[in-house]
Amino acid sequence: MIVEDFIDFLKGVPPFQFLTEESLKRLSSAVSMEFYPKGTMILRQDGPPSDFLRVIKKGGVKVFISTENGQDMVIDYRSAGDSFGLLSLVGGDRSRANVLAIEDTICYVIEKNTILKLVDMSPAFTEYFLKSFLSKYIDKTYKEMHNKSLLYGGGDKLLFTTPVGEVATADVVTAQQDITIREAADIMSQKRCSSLVLTDGDGVPTGIFTDRDIRDKVLSKGRSPQEKVSNVMSVSLIRIDARDYCFEALLKMIRFSIHHLLVVDGGRLKGILTNHDLMMMQGTSPISVAREIEGQQTIDGLAPVAGKINRIVGLLLKDGARASNIARIITEINDRLLRRILEIAEKQLGPPPVDYCWIIFGSEGRKEQTFKTDQDNAIIFADPASDEEEKRISEYFAAFTAWVRDSLVKCGFPLCPANYMASNPQWCQPLRTWKRYFSNWIYTPTPDAVLKSLIFFDFRPVHGNPALAESLRDSLNAMLDGQMIFLGYMANTIIKNVPPVGFFKSLIVEKSGEHKNEMNIKVKGVAPFVDMIRLFSLEKGLRETSTLERVAVLKGRHTIVKEYADELEHAFEFIMLLRMQHQFEQMELGLEPDNFINPNSLSNLERKTIKEAFNLITKMQGIIMERYKPLIW
Amino acid sequence: MANGTDSSRKISETRFTVVDTELTGLDAKRDAIISVGAVRMTGGRIEISDSFYRLVNPDKELKAPGVIIHEITSEDLLQKPGIDEVLAEFTGFYGSDVIVGYCVEIDMEFLNREMKRIFGAPIRNSVIDIYPLYEWARSRTFFEERTTTMPGRAKLYDIARHYDIAVNGAHNALVDAFITAQVFQRLIPLLSAAGITNMGELMRLCGRLKGGDRQGISSGISNF
Repeated sequence: MIVEDFIDFLKGVPPFQFLTEESLKRLSSAVSMEFYPKGTMILRQDGPPSDFLRVIKKGGVKVFISTENGQDMVIDYRSAGDSFGLLSLVGGDRSRANVLAIEDTICYVIEKNTILKLVDMSPAFTEYFLKSFLSKYIDKTYKEMHNKSLLYGGGDKLLFTTPVGEVATADVVTAQQDITIREAADIMSQKRCSSLVLTDGDGVPTGIFTDRDIRDKVLSKGRSPQEKVSNVMSVSLIRIDARDYCFEALLKMIRFSIHHLLVVDGGRLKGILTNHDLMMMQGTSPISVAREIEGQQTIDGLAPVAGKINRIVGLLLKDGARASNIARIITEINDRLLRRILEIAEKQLGPPPVDYCWIIFGSEGRKEQTFKTDQDNAIIFADPASDEEEKRISEYFAAFTAWVRDSLVKCGFPLCPANYMASNPQWCQPLRTWKRYFSNWIYTPTPDAVLKSLIFFDFRPVHGNPALAESLRDSLNAMLDGQMIFLGYMANTIIKNVPPVGFFKSLIVEKSGEHKNEMNIKVKGVAPFVDMIRLFSLEKGLRETSTLERVAVLKGRHTIVKEYADELEHAFEFIMLLRMQHQFEQMELGLEPDNFINPNSLSNLERKTIKEAFNLITKMQGIIMERYKPLIW
Repeated sequence: MANGTDSSRKISETRFTVVDTELTGLDAKRDAIISVGAVRMTGGRIEISDSFYRLVNPDKELKAPGVIIHEITSEDLLQKPGIDEVLAEFTGFYGSDVIVGYCVEIDMEFLNREMKRIFGAPIRNSVIDIYPLYEWARSRTFFEERTTTMPGRAKLYDIARHYDIAVNGAHNALVDAFITAQVFQRLIPLLSAAGITNMGELMRLCGRLKGGDRQGISSGISNF
């Protein structure tokens, strides 16, 4: 029975499927099964030769070689049905590569002599392995990798795998907070440090004084060096745990607009992390772009800085960052860019006559933008007292929004083809009108209204008075409460987007046209997850807009999400990363990024993972269909 | 250690016979063994080609529940050899292996009853029960596995599903022994991560788990 399982498995796997029943029986007389937890090094390069051929039953491995200069080069990823170890088994001298289990992996292990006999006896079997395994192939790869890696030079330390503690400056210079500015500056120049941590009598850090403070708070303000340093030090000490990864530190620096973070380990001050430390580690740094944005006074100055954002994505991808982390950093930078543009606009055109809130929606609203996305923005302004006032306000914003729209174009954000922009008077309205829009869409869910809801309901404030956006969110959640009919319309849209998986589990691609043999990863991969999670969020009246943040909150509140949260997060991260990598490759080649992926260009493991993601979509669609049964047509 | 299992022998080099029996019921006085299934392991490697499965003529009518689960009918069994013959053969299969099973005490009780009757002595091999080992492993990995909810007293298939081991299809003593072997296979790396790599350490852990001294264990091995 357990032997039969093994034979059945081999019948579906090349090259074993070419074997006769008799040969398969012979194989099964010398087979065992091993389990390797994720992270196990199954074979080691230059280690003893393998005495077994291993066929992966479940899981996945990475085949890679370490080059002379200590870098790892991936040769292949292998998953269920693939095998490894043949080459060193046939060669009998040494293992050519490292094989690492990247998931919990189960292998059928077939003994050496049995395989060697088969190689002698079965031409089809041998040919297959000759093609995919033999020395020529791998030794060539080996050489190419060696040469190629020289071009790469010394690898950057990885932003996403390096804990803060490793790059932070360990020697923190501290001083009592009651010294003068002059004394502080003396200590800093003596110790050659750019920052000084001030402490109270008990040695507890109370503030930080930096080079930048000397420039911005002392010299330029004409303060006396005899003043107490505690008058000018920054008291908002932002801490980071030594075990956090560097990108977390980076995010904090960008968010709080600071250059120094106190590194704490087990509650104790362990060191200090500067912007410089991160830049040294990284080459080009996202924070330097963020700061450059802050420094610009004109749109002409901003435009070239904005151009650097794509390069950052490339660097982060190379660093092996998760898609969600890349998106977080890009969001942080794009938000800053947008805020800066709005600040400049307010300066140029005079302050707005009324409280307003600039909102963004679509992928920007969900914080899921990657490369430059279309503008999706609008204005909510405070309800005016009279028609004349409203007219005056509208006139101001007409000029204001046109100016911002054109500036965004200059900075690389194309116009929205559907004209969902604040410069369209329809989308620059007082709060009460917005509430009316939303209630119309919800209570009269025409196809157009549902479409607009999908886009607008992911709104979030980015500049101005956020209370206006919050008030709109409150109304929206109140309106949606119990509105099963509207939610049913959304559910219908969702279940109609069927994953492109064929009857025999093949991936369905475009049959003709410009994108023949490709599939649209945005429509078929990203959108289903976004739409399903949005539906669940609206059911529960969430305020979060990003898909992963929504999942994190829904985990504790929504029975379906609770059950599938890990799978959802994993699948969504994977699809987003696939899309980012695809677009980045296109841009590297000078092409306009699109969403069309050819499944044949994916590795086995990627194909398998994408199929799993589609399976998950199908499963969730089934659940949604069940849930909204009476409203599905 | 029973039957001369060398306590310094590495788990990875030890031969195990993972066993499961199917019974007509749980009454050790009246019920009988109707099949014996076993698969060999060498360390964490399951020797798929080296398995044992025999149906036994129980000399009595079968009770209903067993029939439903295992699709074995009395008529099937009446054609089969008696327990004496099967156990004589099984003795040759397990030899000096360490015997492993899920809630194995029940299997051992039935096997030993027959062994004493036939050969005048019980099986003296070392015996390992994976159920307490699984509970032990679970108690140490609550950080990762916290979200998985398990029934109060885990059943073999629930444990298997917990490790994503396939449990579909028909079940019999061999298939269940194979599932048990796969669970044991998953536990071995966890044991090794807790510093338990030789048979002496493993048997000591099993002894303590049997005593129900959970407290003693979690404090005794702190390098996890």
